[in-house]
Amino acid sequence: MSLLEVERINALYGDSHVLFDLSIHVNEKEVVALLGRNGAGKTTTLRTIMGVLSPRSGEIRLDGKPISGLPPSAIARVGVQLVPEERAIFGGLTVEENLRLAALTAPKPWPLDRVYEVFPRLKERRTSRGRTLSGGEQQMLSIGRALIRDPRIILMDEPFEGLAPLIVRDLVNVSRALAAEGRTMIVVEQNVAAALSFADRVYGLNNGHVVYEGSAKELQAEPERMASFIGVGLHG
Amino acid sequence: MPSWATLLSQAFNGLALGSLLALVSSGLTIILGTLGVLNFAHGALFTVGAYAIFVAFQYTSSFFLAVAMGSVFMLVLGILLERVIVRLFYDRPHEDQILVTYGVGIVLVEVLRNVFGSHAQRVPVPSWGTGVTEMGFLMYPTYRLQLIGMVAAILLALYLILYRTSLGLVVRAGIENPGMVGILGIDVKRTFLVVFAVGCVAVGLAGMLYAPVVAVSPDMGATFMVQSFVVIVLGGLGSFPGAVVGGLIAGEIISITSAFNSAYSDVMLYGLMALVLVLRPQGLFGSEGRV
Amino acid sequence: MTRNLPPALRAVLPETILVLVLVAAPLLLPPLGFSYDLLSRVLNWGLLGLGFDILFGLTGLLSFGQAAFYGVGGFVTAYLLVSGKVASVWLALAIGTAAAGLFGLFVGWLAVRRIGIYFTMITLAFAQMAYFIENSPLSDYTGGENGIAGVPQPKLGFGESALTISAGLPMYALLAVAFVIGFALARRIVMSPVGSILLAIRENTPRVAMLGHDVSAYKLAAFVIAALYAGLAGGMLGSFQSYMPPDAFSLETSGQLVVQTIVGGVGTLIGPLVGAAIWLWLRDNLQVIPGLGALWKLVLGIAFIGLVIWLRRGICGEIIHRMNKRREAAAVKAAQARTEAIELSEAGSAAGEPASEPAPVTVRDIVLPLAPPSRGSGDVALATSGLSRHYGGLKAVDDVSFEIRRGTIHAVIGPNGAGKSTLFKMLLDEVSPSAGEVRLFGERITGLGVTRTAQLGIAKSNQLNQLFPNLTVRQSLRVAALARSRGRMKLDLIRRSGSLPEVEAQVETVIDSLGLRERAETPAHILAYGEKRRLEIGMALATSPNVLLLDEPLAGMSPVERLATRDLIRSIAKSRTLVIVEHDLDAIFQLADRITVLYEGRLLADGSAEDVARNQAVQDAYLGGLHS
Repeated sequence: MSLLEVERINALYGDSHVLFDLSIHVNEKEVVALLGRNGAGKTTTLRTIMGVLSPRSGEIRLDGKPISGLPPSAIARVGVQLVPEERAIFGGLTVEENLRLAALTAPKPWPLDRVYEVFPRLKERRTSRGRTLSGGEQQMLSIGRALIRDPRIILMDEPFEGLAPLIVRDLVNVSRALAAEGRTMIVVEQNVAAALSFADRVYGLNNGHVVYEGSAKELQAEPERMASFIGVGLHG
Repeated sequence: MPSWATLLSQAFNGLALGSLLALVSSGLTIILGTLGVLNFAHGALFTVGAYAIFVAFQYTSSFFLAVAMGSVFMLVLGILLERVIVRLFYDRPHEDQILVTYGVGIVLVEVLRNVFGSHAQRVPVPSWGTGVTEMGFLMYPTYRLQLIGMVAAILLALYLILYRTSLGLVVRAGIENPGMVGILGIDVKRTFLVVFAVGCVAVGLAGMLYAPVVAVSPDMGATFMVQSFVVIVLGGLGSFPGAVVGGLIAGEIISITSAFNSAYSDVMLYGLMALVLVLRPQGLFGSEGRV
Repeated sequence: MTRNLPPALRAVLPETILVLVLVAAPLLLPPLGFSYDLLSRVLNWGLLGLGFDILFGLTGLLSFGQAAFYGVGGFVTAYLLVSGKVASVWLALAIGTAAAGLFGLFVGWLAVRRIGIYFTMITLAFAQMAYFIENSPLSDYTGGENGIAGVPQPKLGFGESALTISAGLPMYALLAVAFVIGFALARRIVMSPVGSILLAIRENTPRVAMLGHDVSAYKLAAFVIAALYAGLAGGMLGSFQSYMPPDAFSLETSGQLVVQTIVGGVGTLIGPLVGAAIWLWLRDNLQVIPGLGALWKLVLGIAFIGLVIWLRRGICGEIIHRMNKRREAAAVKAAQARTEAIELSEAGSAAGEPASEPAPVTVRDIVLPLAPPSRGSGDVALATSGLSRHYGGLKAVDDVSFEIRRGTIHAVIGPNGAGKSTLFKMLLDEVSPSAGEVRLFGERITGLGVTRTAQLGIAKSNQLNQLFPNLTVRQSLRVAALARSRGRMKLDLIRRSGSLPEVEAQVETVIDSLGLRERAETPAHILAYGEKRRLEIGMALATSPNVLLLDEPLAGMSPVERLATRDLIRSIAKSRTLVIVEHDLDAIFQLADRITVLYEGRLLADGSAEDVARNQAVQDAYLGGLHS
């Protein structure tokens, strides 16, 4: 049995039907990448797993127990943690307060120092308010907030978007290390090369449907396979 | 030009009124900032606080015991109001929230009127607060000085709750982005209950402490409520420091202006509010609230 | 029952019923505890409420400061009469009403730029200020806390033979006449183009601005109308009770008006009158019962809370709603059934690829009766130079210059986060650029704001639908077409909204082009998703723009709908310049004449579809750097 099973979910954003009978699964200690053009439904998939959106039909299970329909707070408490695209740092709270807040409802939170080991930069800035952080620091804090809860599975939405190449490199290294130590993750990323460098398996999404499933290695070897769901189809 | 002695004594009156307004407004502003609800029943809750101590004082001779009993009552009332009525309105338009809390205010005031009558009641000044205090440059009623001290202590307690506890952490984060607080595993709606109850206790305490220096009547809260709107506009909607500073500014404006010409004290206050709303709607402390 | 009446009578049916009720009231109601005096006061509150209902019920702006205008109208009228400056009560009433309107213009000018809690608090602050100004600084004129006593009653006729309208039945008759006229006028306003626009503002304010209506000006108009009604009511208050009380200015007055309106039914015009009847009857009649005296307001307060929670429409609103529901239930049910059928067929076609390609639809020209605003004759419709938008350190759009040729379909594409949406919003000045400018036929439009650019001939359909949920398809399109024919603001308060032939012709043409003929009377919120998308495009089209911007027009559509919408886009393109942002690249390469590619905020490529398709940099950008 997989750790996370998403079974035939349909989801609407506003009144627009975004996900159609979408099914994916994630095994323990596996990193899964969701790839696809924008508008394919990747972010919606993550938000639906987190409970921010309720699926209209279908079921989502963690460890075999259904979690769909629960509010995000309850889903977070069973160990699912979204790192949202917009980062959503609390600008009026300090770095340390952001982390302490995240740790409040975790059953076995990490000590602060363990987060600071992953992101030493955050330790230097621990008394700074969130709104004074750079984009890269905000992204570190956003991931740090997820890590401190020591969740069963982390959902990362475009973690490298809008960041300078050097910072992307650092964050990719951190992601690799997390994958190597056996953390379960789903990552949505436009930077396909970066995502494939630490993903085990890939789902390709198009118009709210899963149109491809395969190992990351396969895809790296034959990038033209992506044409069906991410390529621009310019040849036709 | 009034004499310096008059000005000084008015400045002290301003401090007493201002600290009280700060307490009333801080309750209003944390409810607004966290729940997004502008509580039009806030004035009525002030009045309920004053009547609570009026009743409690008849059963106990201790002022502080009466305040404690009154606070418990306000806490229970706040929890009831949130559970039964306010929570139905989190997802409805601001206009509906204003309407229903205005209705709650009417009902609370009318219940008081039916139980206690329209005439004014008196709450005695506690024995340790009678007389005047010689301050060298000024003779000032002892209880009013103590009032300033007690309000300052309550505001400090509120500050510690907001800035030194987990609950405060959740409240401050919830004011910024309630959705993300939920994603981090915290049930925001449960926090709403606590915040509403705390806000009720804060304004109730203001009513209790103020009761001994004024006639207690069912309509006493209306003025305070409208003045506390001015305060939170000055300070920035949803900002606790803004409510404290705004309260002191409003208190001083009323008191100092009336030293010159009492006819203009309220005109000045509301004129300033209109000016701030038009020119700097986020208030002095910028609003991190949701409105 | 109304269906059998001749149209002329049906049009004035509410007024007719109102007159009959007001004639019958003094005959039938006094035994039930409604004295002439009480009925007069009810009418006075009702008159005040007519204006408030246009402001709150129609436009959705909750004012807690109507007392300010009630008081100004009342005290100006009373002062002029008692001081002897004006002899005629009628003239004094006119001046008092005008004074209230002027004060409303001032307060409204400051208030309408803010929304929600801020709007309510500004009105409340000014009302409080007015109250305290009356109370102290102006007490030499207003009598301060004592008010103005001895306000004379109005006279009909001149000289010796003049007939004084005394308290009791004559005063009731006067107020009834005033109310009927006020009601008829208010109803005309509601049904006028201005009324349609105000209603649309309540439904979706930003969209009304995008269509080219000056939202602030219309809100201000509603505010002033409400102030004028309040001023007239205030003036008549002093005259009919021979005394102008200072508490006309009080917060309780504003609050009482709000409660009465909610109880009686908001948005019904008659609701405030009914609410006032209930409030005043309870107060006058329960007060005299020993033991119940103080209970009336408690009962009212509890009822008020209950109405806000469960029956927000109020008494009249609920009655009208139920009557309409019974009559329209079948129509709504049919509309919903149709929606479900459409959605079901789409879900089927979306699950797999469509079984067979539907037959190609012949592309017709859409000829709109309202001509687009002609701007210059240049070959370049829209041009940007050095356009940039920075958010903090993030350069969402960075130094983008390109041209859109007149009469072409021009696509803007790029991976997520490329800055397409921001660029699009700058093209019609929905977002102000940090640097650079946009030119429409050579004329700079940057800095004009979205309403002015709409009037110059740019319209946009949005990525997420921005509809008027409770307006029908026809009403929605009418609001859009009105913007083109009327300019930013026009105060035709008496004309009927559907009586402009050119606008109606425009609306019908757009309904046909959208294929929404059967759905013309269906409220937008009931439509199927694909129909909503088409309405979204149709509203932009109905403004008859020179340049039409489509932000992801195909988003969320089923394959069948995509084809239909593609045809619609082609037919629009025959007469307008089109700019499209879209993720469906297959569709783009079929539709677009020219393509601009953005990547990380910068211009990556710009050229014909063939050029862009062959561009290696574009391929790499879309493949997420896998080759690099």
